[in-house]
Amino acid sequence: MSGARGTNRAQGKPHRNLVRSYEQDLRLFGSPMSKVGLGLMLATLLVLPTVVRDDFWLSVLIYSGITAIGAIGLNLLTGYCGQISLGHAFFIGAGAYAAAVVGGDLGLPLPVWLLASAAIGAVLGGLIGPFALRLRGHYLAIVTLGLIFIGEHLWRNLRDVTGGNNGTSVGAEATVGPVDLGALELAGENYSRNQGYFWLVWALVAIIALLAKNLVRTRPGRALRAVRDHDQAAEVIGVRAGRYKIGAFVVSSAIAAMAGALFGSYQQHVSPDDWTLLLSIQYIAIIIVGGLGTIFGAILGAIFVGALPALIDEYSSAIPGVATEAGGDGFISVFALNQAIFGLLIVLFLVFEPRGLAGIWFRVKAYFKAWPFSY
Amino acid sequence: MTEPLLDVWDLTLRFGGVTALNGVSFTVGRGELFAVIGPNGAGKTSIFNCLNGVYRPQRGTITLAGQRVNGRSPATIAGMGVARTFQNLGLFEQLTLIENLMLGRHHLMRTGMLAGMAWWGRAKREEVDHRAACEEIVELLELEPYRRIPAGLLPYGVAKRAELGRALAMSPTLLLLDEPVAGMNVEETEDMARYLVEVRRELDLAMILVEHDTRLVMDLADRVLALDFGTPIAMGTPEEVQHDPKVVEAYLGGAA
Repeated sequence: MSGARGTNRAQGKPHRNLVRSYEQDLRLFGSPMSKVGLGLMLATLLVLPTVVRDDFWLSVLIYSGITAIGAIGLNLLTGYCGQISLGHAFFIGAGAYAAAVVGGDLGLPLPVWLLASAAIGAVLGGLIGPFALRLRGHYLAIVTLGLIFIGEHLWRNLRDVTGGNNGTSVGAEATVGPVDLGALELAGENYSRNQGYFWLVWALVAIIALLAKNLVRTRPGRALRAVRDHDQAAEVIGVRAGRYKIGAFVVSSAIAAMAGALFGSYQQHVSPDDWTLLLSIQYIAIIIVGGLGTIFGAILGAIFVGALPALIDEYSSAIPGVATEAGGDGFISVFALNQAIFGLLIVLFLVFEPRGLAGIWFRVKAYFKAWPFSY
Repeated sequence: MTEPLLDVWDLTLRFGGVTALNGVSFTVGRGELFAVIGPNGAGKTSIFNCLNGVYRPQRGTITLAGQRVNGRSPATIAGMGVARTFQNLGLFEQLTLIENLMLGRHHLMRTGMLAGMAWWGRAKREEVDHRAACEEIVELLELEPYRRIPAGLLPYGVAKRAELGRALAMSPTLLLLDEPVAGMNVEETEDMARYLVEVRRELDLAMILVEHDTRLVMDLADRVLALDFGTPIAMGTPEEVQHDPKVVEAYLGGAA
């Protein structure tokens, strides 16, 4: 395994999958196949909005991307560090209002309002984090549940910032210098707001996924997982569990706040009804369906849970027994059907595939790696 | 005589009305293999829990290389060079074996959350350097086939060895082994004994061994401390302790 060991010239180059140094062993996209996969993924993200020009589907994908960012944040906290939080919606809301102030009222550009909301999320996460030192499991879930209600009270009453019950418009524009992603013009071609936001959001998904992946595969990430698996043993081998629990809250809330900022900027109007307990539960469902403790799973889960209601919506007229309009024929409304399928999925995944969509993906990958042998 | 590495003086630990340790004193020299024996509930594991800061003794002092140990947090004590294995396995089950070993080096590494996210630069350099250090332990303990297997899926004997490996990855000056061969068959026990001898020869460290397998203790230990109900009843070379009437009585009851 040592890197100094030379290859035998007479036999030509070593096999492309042979690892000859630790540095090589640690590459994220080491094998040729994964490089091809990465290339395909990036190409898809670049080309997709020019192929799918339909505003409805683009907006579904944009919301999925924003949700993916938030889900990566929650997965760091819950999937990797084992801290169950029902308060994710609170940090997402805080991020949206931060963007409304910094990007809208102050009129600062995209990088500034995005980082400002991340900073506010980090500070709020740092304030809540210490609760995790004394509480774990269900007790922590209850405390973070309280956060949702405190948040709701704040959002409804801090009218100067949040606009109270009616909500506030978010004027944070997606501008970087002279480039406005809301009305992109490249080489004489005009792109719609949805196309611009698709590229912005999914580029951020890729960046944040990469940062999160790096975090979890290095020293701090191992420490997070050690705390999740066995926090006393972690202390005994020198991991300061408390520090990592708080750190997980800080990073997770910062990412959640960025997702909120993007949500606000894209939707242009947010109200307290956007950050209810339901949103937190939806995020927990996403990381369960996608796969706890995987970055990729958070993204898969977000696409799945984001796209499913849209699919049902789109094809509800073809499903028998579904009432597509109020008072129409059928015994179940589109909304109720969505909720029912959603609940059913959580149950099915928990029972049959606890590793989520990512687990299915790993199994398929392992099958093809070993093909034609079954092990 | 040079100063001992570890000096434990008058250690007393109580849980409510129960006295788990009562005036335990001993010293461990550099490079020495010191064993603690005693019947179930004698307080052997409690000594370990005091040594690495999990329990706070009510009385007594623990000094490691001139520095006071008791009163500090487990993570600080780990940084001072005290490593430990657990009686019922303390591996992180969902992490691979190599990740478990890398966690042993946690206190020797510096990468924080932001540096880890950035990867390029220090994080990457540290990962490579410490991976190389872990591989030496993989080689020493012959764990090569298991590198990428989650610790929870390792066979029991291998898991025990992996835990020893994680403790060694910490580059400790004092290694605490809590029943390293508990639940093992004769062959696995012999393997573990062989690794312990090898570790002693290769790495210059002191060890404290808590073990029920008296043959292993008698074969490996330089000195032995016998406890009964938290009270020291004998200390000396394995032969002396083995034939001490109080030790025989503690193990076999009054009639012997």
